[in-house]
Amino acid sequence: MSTRTKPEGKRPTRRAVVKGAAVTLGAAAFAKAVSPVAEFAEGLTVEQFLRRHYKELSEDDKREVLARIERDTEAEYGAACKVADPPPLPGVKFAYAINLSKCNGNGKCVEACHRENNHDRDTNQSYIRVLELEKGSMDLEKGNTTYDHAVPAEGKDYLPVQCQQCDAPPCTAVCPVEATWKEPDGIVVVDYDWCIGCRYCEAACPYHARRFNWKKPTIPADEVNPDQGLLSNRIRPQGVMEKCHFCLHRTREGRLPACAEACPTGARVFGNVADPASELRWILANKRVFVLKEELGTKPSFFYFFDD
Amino acid sequence: MSDGVATARHSRSYPRFLLRMLALSTEGSAAFYGWMTLLTAVFLVGVHAWARQMADGMVVTHMTDHVSWGLYIANFTFLVGVAAGGVMMVIPAYLYRDREMHDVVILGEILAVAAIFMCLAFVTVDLGRPDRFWHMFPGIGRFNFPISMLTWDVLVLNGYLLLNLHVVGYLLYTRFLGRTPDPKWYVPFVMVSIVWAISIHTVTAFLYCGLGGRPFWNTALLAPRFLTSAFVAGPAFVIVTMLFLKKRLRLPLSSKPIRTLVSIVRVTILVNLLMIASEVFTEFYTGGAHTASAQYLFFGLHGKDALVPWIWTAIALNVLAAVLFLGRRAMTDARVLTVACVAAFAGCWIEKGMGLIVPGFVPSTLHEVVEYVPSVVEWKVTAGIWAFGLMVFTVALKVAIPIFSGEERLSPRP
Amino acid sequence: MAVLAGVPLAIGLSAWSGGGSVRADEVPAEAAAAGVRFPVRVNRPSGPPRVLVDTEGVPPGTTVACSTCHATRPPDRTNARTDDLDEFHQGLVVRHGDSTCLACHDPTDYDRLRRADGRPVAFEDVMDLCGQCHGPQRRDWRHGAHGGTTGYWDLTRGPRTRNHCVDCHDPHAPAFPRMRPTFKPIDRFLTPDAESHE
Repeated sequence: MSTRTKPEGKRPTRRAVVKGAAVTLGAAAFAKAVSPVAEFAEGLTVEQFLRRHYKELSEDDKREVLARIERDTEAEYGAACKVADPPPLPGVKFAYAINLSKCNGNGKCVEACHRENNHDRDTNQSYIRVLELEKGSMDLEKGNTTYDHAVPAEGKDYLPVQCQQCDAPPCTAVCPVEATWKEPDGIVVVDYDWCIGCRYCEAACPYHARRFNWKKPTIPADEVNPDQGLLSNRIRPQGVMEKCHFCLHRTREGRLPACAEACPTGARVFGNVADPASELRWILANKRVFVLKEELGTKPSFFYFFDD
Repeated sequence: MSDGVATARHSRSYPRFLLRMLALSTEGSAAFYGWMTLLTAVFLVGVHAWARQMADGMVVTHMTDHVSWGLYIANFTFLVGVAAGGVMMVIPAYLYRDREMHDVVILGEILAVAAIFMCLAFVTVDLGRPDRFWHMFPGIGRFNFPISMLTWDVLVLNGYLLLNLHVVGYLLYTRFLGRTPDPKWYVPFVMVSIVWAISIHTVTAFLYCGLGGRPFWNTALLAPRFLTSAFVAGPAFVIVTMLFLKKRLRLPLSSKPIRTLVSIVRVTILVNLLMIASEVFTEFYTGGAHTASAQYLFFGLHGKDALVPWIWTAIALNVLAAVLFLGRRAMTDARVLTVACVAAFAGCWIEKGMGLIVPGFVPSTLHEVVEYVPSVVEWKVTAGIWAFGLMVFTVALKVAIPIFSGEERLSPRP
Repeated sequence: MAVLAGVPLAIGLSAWSGGGSVRADEVPAEAAAAGVRFPVRVNRPSGPPRVLVDTEGVPPGTTVACSTCHATRPPDRTNARTDDLDEFHQGLVVRHGDSTCLACHDPTDYDRLRRADGRPVAFEDVMDLCGQCHGPQRRDWRHGAHGGTTGYWDLTRGPRTRNHCVDCHDPHAPAFPRMRPTFKPIDRFLTPDAESHE
């Protein structure tokens, strides 16, 4: 028999009392330390917590989800909105082309994206970044996004970059929970209610196209765009990934994306590349077209071209 | 002699084993209580910082869309290595039938358990939505296996944890019962765990080196480099632990396992340095845009140089450790060996943590240079998880040592 | 004496009152082939420009047609450039290659334009005039690869509006004006840094 083994059935020793007190104290300290989690849990309803993956939602589920998001937006942002979930259009494959001979780096697309997609106002968040590059050079190393002078500057070219909607997207493959995938119309979407926020997709993307909600987005009620899509510009929760979705709440209704309409130089051409009569197909056939980082094999649906 | 009788006996003795472990883990000297109180305090600071991060969002870290992984994932990566490094005791003990190593191999297994717990904690605190953790569970969630390397990592890490928990638990329990462990109940698991240890660090390297958009990580040398640095850091930690047990707690441990581990580190530390040198040569001699990250790490880029002091410290520590390990006094002088181990451990922590993760994001994929220095919250959470890991390690040792030394036995003995 | 203060710059949709009508020949061939349901509206000038009169006794904001003055004065063909003018159109900046005024303006009727071969072109159809020199731009425009567009990419769902030449290009100085970026991301830890990037 071990000498240190306590005989059972006796009155608690002093040591046991001290131990018990220490455990109680520790538990109380732990409860106090962890208490801010309650603030997080407050904003989280049971329905939100238990929501199934987007692809597993029935039509009834989806109606409920859309209605809930509308209610939550009203409650949290004081703004009425209409959340829809337009499906991909059959026979449509979206693509984008930007004329780098025309783009002058004015950044209107960046701002249009910011407003259209209910981005965080504090950070001027946007899915688009415009790089100022040395003219005639595609060396990103010599570029920057922080230029602040009249454009186009002498000897500079401009390169707007957003999600390239790759046909071989590295970002969807790495997601451990299938929270991001490529839709039949070519748009890579994120299920904001399924993403766990590991940011592996952000590491995998070669185009800096993905954004993380480091905090809850701040948007004044009168600036909330009420025309919202479940997989696009509905206000995103804290702690999840988001990315350019080609304004699918607009484009799946046949409209042009916000950035295309906002471009004052007419450098942006958007459309259905599956349609042989589309403007895009003419550009692909007749212009000097290239894609970014072609060597990575990501097969972008996003093209850049120059005039003659 | 039927199984039923044995089961009935286990149903009584196993709870007693658990109770005894609980008692052992809460009893000790004033130094032990002091140490555990300190760890608890640091742990609570970490818990609180993490709770704030949950409530306010990860904006309280200094990670950004440019550097989207930081101190947490750096520690995770390093600790996977520490967990895998324990296998450097298992291989001599079981494959080379080193008797004396066999007696202390449980140290390596306990270290693996503690390190994996820390890995899982670091991944959890890095999640933006830990409340959605269940989305990964097959059946109720959607587990993107086998496409996502992260799902492989989840499987191998948890598998490695279970393997080691089983081996450690089984050995302790049989010792507690006063029986000789039955090899068929643990040797196959140990053999699997050897391969598994290699796999956890290989898969963790594959998380990074499979990303074509991050040239700094996109190297076939990454997994071998991970393994060699793991086989430096893991044994270094074990050596220091054994020196502590031997010198401070005056446990009658043989010196031979320490010498074996020093011999192993003498090789791995050199291979690790060789691999770093190969990487550095390839990066800088080739030149071009893909060198930018290495340029940033070692010399700074466009006037930004937050990591330069870190990496040169790491290299200095690694070289110092190599020199000390290779010297004769590493075998004879416990103080020299301790310094060598601490230098090696810290050197690998920097090199494989901050020195590997952060430059993958600098410059960004659009070649913007945004620097990253961890925030106070990140340091608090990190310290909390290390305190938690050390608690697990301390308690496990506290339980294992008396049981292994035969001091603790199921009572009354038949 | 009436002083013509200058010709209004034809930039921006607001310059064109009606938003324009559809011209079958300006609908891109591709869209036409696809069985268009909704029209492609092309912005067009509503007619000849009117010129602001800045003289005493006339209410401010009064405009007159070009022919009001030009009908009574024969053109001085020795005036090839604005520098040559010693009265009227003072301060008008023309930076349009080597073109002279009468390369585009019709000296027989200032309320219309003329092609290089002398055939008249209405102001509403100014694209036909531009296109005779700027063939590649006209070609690109016809194929949707030049010029801003708003509305629907899918014409079976809704209409589209397209800019035409003088929406964006001042015919007297057609280079697209420089702009100042007004909206920049506010990134943590990425402040514009003089020493970074040259």
